[in-house]
Amino acid sequence: MNPEHESPEPDGRPAPGSPSPAGPEHERSRWARGPAGRSDGRYPYEWQHAAEEPQQPDGGAHPQPSHEWCGTSGESRAFGPSYEQDATRAESWSLPGGGLSPPPRGPQGHPQLYSQGPWQGHAGDVPHGPQAYPHHGTAGGAYTSEEHGPASEPRQWWSEEASQPFAAESGRRLSPRSMVVGPINQLRSILFPILVGLIIGGFNPWLLAATGATVVMVLVGGFVTWRTLRYEITDDHIEIRKGLIRRERRTIPLQRVRGVDVTSSLLHRMLGVSVVRIEAAAGSTDAEDGKLDAVDAAEADRLRGELLRRKAVLTEDGAEPAGTEEGPEATAEPETVTYFEMPRSWYLYGALSLAHLLTPFALLATLIGLLQQSGAQLGAATDTVVGWLDSTDRALLTALAIGVPVVLVLMMPVFAVVSYTVTNWGFTLRGREGSLVAERGLFTRRSVTLEKRRIRGHELQDNPLERTRDAVRLRAIVTGLGEAATRAVLLPTGPRPRVAEAVERALARYEGGLRPHPRAALNRRLIRSVGPFLCTGAAGVLLEWNWLVAASAVLAVLGVPLGIDRYRSLGHGHDEAFVSVRSGSLQREQAVVERSAVIGWSWNQTLFQRRSGLADLQVTVGAGAGGYTAQDASMPGAVAFAADVTPGMVRPFLVERGAGAAASGQGHDRGAGQDSGHDRAPTADEDR
Amino acid sequence: MLNSPAHDGRPEPGEGPREHLTEEGRTAELRPPLRRVSGRAVGVWTVRMLLGVALKLVLISVVAVMLTNLSLSWIPDRLSENARLLPIAYGVYGLVKVAVVPSWRYRVHRWEVGEDVIYTRAGWIARSWQLVPVNRIQTVDHTQAMLERVFDVATLRVQTASFAGSSTIEGMDADEARVLSEELAARAATLRDDAT
Repeated sequence: MNPEHESPEPDGRPAPGSPSPAGPEHERSRWARGPAGRSDGRYPYEWQHAAEEPQQPDGGAHPQPSHEWCGTSGESRAFGPSYEQDATRAESWSLPGGGLSPPPRGPQGHPQLYSQGPWQGHAGDVPHGPQAYPHHGTAGGAYTSEEHGPASEPRQWWSEEASQPFAAESGRRLSPRSMVVGPINQLRSILFPILVGLIIGGFNPWLLAATGATVVMVLVGGFVTWRTLRYEITDDHIEIRKGLIRRERRTIPLQRVRGVDVTSSLLHRMLGVSVVRIEAAAGSTDAEDGKLDAVDAAEADRLRGELLRRKAVLTEDGAEPAGTEEGPEATAEPETVTYFEMPRSWYLYGALSLAHLLTPFALLATLIGLLQQSGAQLGAATDTVVGWLDSTDRALLTALAIGVPVVLVLMMPVFAVVSYTVTNWGFTLRGREGSLVAERGLFTRRSVTLEKRRIRGHELQDNPLERTRDAVRLRAIVTGLGEAATRAVLLPTGPRPRVAEAVERALARYEGGLRPHPRAALNRRLIRSVGPFLCTGAAGVLLEWNWLVAASAVLAVLGVPLGIDRYRSLGHGHDEAFVSVRSGSLQREQAVVERSAVIGWSWNQTLFQRRSGLADLQVTVGAGAGGYTAQDASMPGAVAFAADVTPGMVRPFLVERGAGAAASGQGHDRGAGQDSGHDRAPTADEDR
Repeated sequence: MLNSPAHDGRPEPGEGPREHLTEEGRTAELRPPLRRVSGRAVGVWTVRMLLGVALKLVLISVVAVMLTNLSLSWIPDRLSENARLLPIAYGVYGLVKVAVVPSWRYRVHRWEVGEDVIYTRAGWIARSWQLVPVNRIQTVDHTQAMLERVFDVATLRVQTASFAGSSTIEGMDADEARVLSEELAARAATLRDDAT
């Protein structure tokens, strides 16, 4: 076993190669606390097999092992720290595998450091640090990357969190009062249907019994939740475990905590408890957050303070080397730049926008809804309407019934322009203090501020009507999904050249083109747009429903141009700074995303796509819609594309081939040379 | 924001001349991830699939019985006469599926944690490959449904700032999954990257 696989040092060692901001006493405090090395932590992973080789390039051979631990050697790199679970569960953790000898942890090289560490021996025998740290940190093992080629960048993650003077907490439970609050809240949502059922059912015993059973089940559920849920803050993550039958454990790194939200409804306040929601991801879905419903109000405050304090410490340490704090510099020059002011002529573009074209119908629907509501409440009003209908001439009614929709349809463009004007009156886009400020609106003046450092790209949208006038809408792709959909409008519908100009001034222009997708994609688009209607048509023939056959035929014919247009809009491309993907017909969208914002890729291939060598390539972005898909790109082309954009992420997983050996071999070196290369924009011109 | 230097001879954004950018010979191929999931996952999938097939078979049988006996006027005769073929056809299909799919899926499902990227492959006839960088991980979920506990396997789910960037490894050995989840959570915590 490689010494650095086993030794706990990677996270605590004040490695000379790593720019750790932490002073020696910080190091010491962390060291004293742990993590204790898991010397029996045999990793069963493939990339570990090198660990079993007797040749130890780092610990034994090199005179300066600390450099090796920094990963600068290029032979191997250590990752750390890792967490063991509670001591109570520790036995179950030993992994299958041969007995590997404990690593040589001599004091060679760092005697003064080793003398402080409590982990000289076997991890199991190690006494814990003075603060009774409940987690053993494992060494995490080194991820030997033979096939990945030499790594060049020093890894610094352990140094970033090298000093947290906190002890981990042991698992805590929710407030016992949550057994009351939870069931009441659950029952409240089903109270109405139950009551209706009981009243309509005339309180028959079956219904009463079912209701009783439901109440008991909910109460038991509340009890089980209270019994099984445990939460625990360690010094760099919070862990929530729950579940009796289906067990779940959520681990949220404190670095990722975006906010801690403490709320309490009236019921919660009456019982003196609060709901703590730990917002972790950008997503607004509950699934990605940690929710504690409910804890004592005092505990909630303590939790919030504790989480934010620990996160702040982590962030402080990590921020400087990461260089993400652009705020202070940006605020130094609080001048306002106007990127765009809407010219008068733009208001006419409202007539092209589908959303605005449909306003009269939306208004009509609202009106009818209102009438119905008030009619249901006031019988008198209904009577009046009915009386008026009776007394009015039938011919007039018919004229009205035909006339009103015709007028509405004719007025659609007018309404659209009016509605567009009301929404977008005096649209301006300004830059101020590192933010983009979009202001608009005639009656309600709406001002939206988007931090520039949260903008990851932009999106150009158009519909077929807008395409006839070469008009597009501009939206920003912003991190944080919450209200982004409504907030991210950067420019209303307008002529493409002006929009491009504003993009260039406010953000940065996308210079690359879009490469079309293979012909096979056209067939698939056509099958998609025509096929379903052919199927319903066939079913109609089978069932001898002529209306279905006729409707399907019409839709199938309409599907042909739609499919062709869908194919024509498909495309993907990249330049030095951006990746771009376009798709759609009735709502065509071209997303332009910074290369550094690409946080993953996925390729999806159905059976049919596989037969024609196609795949859907999804660019994962932690902003905007979360992912942008290049539909039906050629699979090998899509893989090469991803490898061009983020060589560091994709190249290690490519097949080395004879045919493309020259290009891809060279590319591999290049890609491996820049380790987290997706943050960089390599000169990709030769790729085209 | 990155500001790209201006280039000459580049096409207009979005609407560029395509002849420069045709799908030429540049291709690459993904190799399969190195590690398989636990062999016991086949058991989980088989049992789960059996239950699903059985449930659907019951539903389809009910529908078929209704079609045969109710003889509603709007249902064509041809359909109601042959309704009993529906559950038989589905049953055969279901059995073949249960026999074939789990082991097939076992061959496809693979995962690998590279230097700082999680690489997974999943599916059976439809396949998906996914890359998730470790430094973008936001939460790591280790879940064991009841069936999975019986077979001592677990599902590891890694979420990033994007819903699309969530990666799931089904049917890992439970202990291995636990170690990996701790490992990933720790690495994600220490690898700070604000770009999300």
